[in-house]
Amino acid sequence: MDRQQTNQTLKRIAAGAFSIAAFILLWHFGTKGTDLGKLMPGPFQVIGQFFRSFVKKIGPETVLGHIAWSLSRVLIAFSVASVAGVTLGLTMGWYRKVEAIFRPYFEMIRPIPPIAWIPMAIIWFGLGEMTVYFLIFLAAFSNVTMNAYAGAKAVDPTLVGAAKMLGANDRQIFLTIVLPSSVPYIFAGLQIALSSSWATVVAAEMVRSSRGIGWVIISGMELNNMTQILVGIIGIGLIGFLLAVLMRNIEARLISWKEGGQ
Amino acid sequence: MKNEGKSRYLALSVLSLSVGIIAWWFFTDFLKTIPAIVMPGPVKVFQTFAKKLFDTTPDGATLLQHLQSSLTVALSGYAIGVLIGIPLGILMAWYNKLDMFIRPLFDLLRPIPGLAWIPVMIVLFGIGIFSKAMVIFLSVFVACVINSYSGIKQTKAVHLWVGQTFGASNFELLWRIAIPTSLPMLLTGLRVALGAAWTTLIAAELLASTRGVGFMIQQSRGLFRPDIIIVGMITIGGVGALLAKLITLLEKILLKGGRW
Repeated sequence: MDRQQTNQTLKRIAAGAFSIAAFILLWHFGTKGTDLGKLMPGPFQVIGQFFRSFVKKIGPETVLGHIAWSLSRVLIAFSVASVAGVTLGLTMGWYRKVEAIFRPYFEMIRPIPPIAWIPMAIIWFGLGEMTVYFLIFLAAFSNVTMNAYAGAKAVDPTLVGAAKMLGANDRQIFLTIVLPSSVPYIFAGLQIALSSSWATVVAAEMVRSSRGIGWVIISGMELNNMTQILVGIIGIGLIGFLLAVLMRNIEARLISWKEGGQ
Repeated sequence: MKNEGKSRYLALSVLSLSVGIIAWWFFTDFLKTIPAIVMPGPVKVFQTFAKKLFDTTPDGATLLQHLQSSLTVALSGYAIGVLIGIPLGILMAWYNKLDMFIRPLFDLLRPIPGLAWIPVMIVLFGIGIFSKAMVIFLSVFVACVINSYSGIKQTKAVHLWVGQTFGASNFELLWRIAIPTSLPMLLTGLRVALGAAWTTLIAAELLASTRGVGFMIQQSRGLFRPDIIIVGMITIGGVGALLAKLITLLEKILLKGGRW
C-alpha cells in the first residue's frame, strides 16, 4: 500500500468517526432536557442499558438469552428450509417434469409475504414454537428455491454435452455438473434467505411470543419503554450484521474457484 | 417437435394444479374431513371473496376499503423513501466526500430490518398513518440507497474518460453517463423496495392498526374466520405481484434492450 492510499484510508476513518460522533452528540443534546427527551432516551443511556442487559434480565431472559432464542429458531427452520429449497430448486431446474408439476404452486405462493401467513399459521399450529418455525421456513424456502432453480437453469450446456459424450448418466451429470455449478446461485439465495429469516423471526416474535429479541422490542412498546426498544434494535442490527458477515465469509471460502467470488 | 414438448409440459402443469384444487375441495367442502375452522374449502373462499367486496362485517370495512387504506399508506411511504433514497444514493456514489461522511451512518442503519422500527414509530407517533408511513419509508430508503449507489459505482472509467475528453462538465458526466449506467440497478432497487414496503406494511397492520388488509386478517383470526384470512392473503399476494409487474413494465419501457 503506498502513501497516498494509506492517507486516503486514514481520511475515511476520520470522516466516519466524525460523523458518528456528530450523530451521537446530536442525539445526546436533542434529547437532553427537550420535549423529545421525554419520549426518547439519550445515546449513553441506551448503550449503557444495552450492556447492563447482558446480566440484568428483561422479562424472562437477559438480552443474550433473547438473542439465543431468536437465533436458535432461525437456525432450525433455516436449515430445514435450505435443504428442502435446494433440493426442490435444483430438481425443478433440471427435470422438466418436476418443474411442470411444482412451478405453478410455487408461483402462486411466492408473492405472499411470509408475514401475511402469521394469522393462518397461528390457527394451524397454535401459539407455540411450531408457528415461528413455519414462518421462518416460508421466508427462507422461497428465496433458496428460486435461486437454486435459476442456478440449475444457468448450467453451461457445453459441459453437459461433453459429459454426455463421455458417457455420464443422468445422475452423474446432476451430481457432478449441475450441483457444483449452481453453488454460487445457491449461496446468493442462502444469503437473502438468512436475512429475510432474521426479519421474519423478529416479526413473528413481535406478533406472538414470550421470548426472543422481537419480544423485547414489542414489550418495550407496550411498557412505553423506549430504552428497552432501542436496546432490542441494537441487538437486532448487530446480529443481522454478524449473520451477513458470516455468510459472506463462508461463501468466499466455498466458491473461491469462481472468479470475482460474488 | 419442440412445441409439442412444451404443450405436454403445460398440460402436466394444468393437471397438477387441478389435482391440487380438487383435492383441496374434496377434503374440505365435500367430505369435510378438515373442518372449515382449520382450512376452508375453495368454494367457501370464493363465496367469502365475493361477499367481502360489499360486506363490511365482521371487521368494519369492505375488502376494497381495506385495500385502499393499505395502498395509501404503503405508497406514500414508498414515494418519500424513493424520492429521498435514490438521490442520496446517487450523490453518495458520485461525491467521494459525501460518501465518507454519510456511509458510516448508513451502515449503522442498514442491518436493521425495517419492521423492527415499528415499536419506535408507534411510541413516537401513535398508531396512525404517519407512523406506518415512517416505518415503510425507512425500509424503502435503505433498499433505494444501496441499489442506486452500486448502480452508479458500476460506471466504467473509460466512459467517463471519453466524456471528459469531449469536455463534459462534472454534472454532464453524472447526468449523461453515470445515471443511465445505473438505471438497471436503480430499477431493481425500486422493485426490491416495493416488496419491502408491502411486507413491512402488512407487519405494521398486524401489530397495530384499525384498518387495512393486514388488520383484516389479524381480526379474522380472533373471530375464527380463516376464510377471510385466505381471501386477505390472496389479495396481499395478488396486489404485491401486480405492483412488481408495474415496475417490470417500467423496466421494459426505460431499458430498451438493455443497451446502456
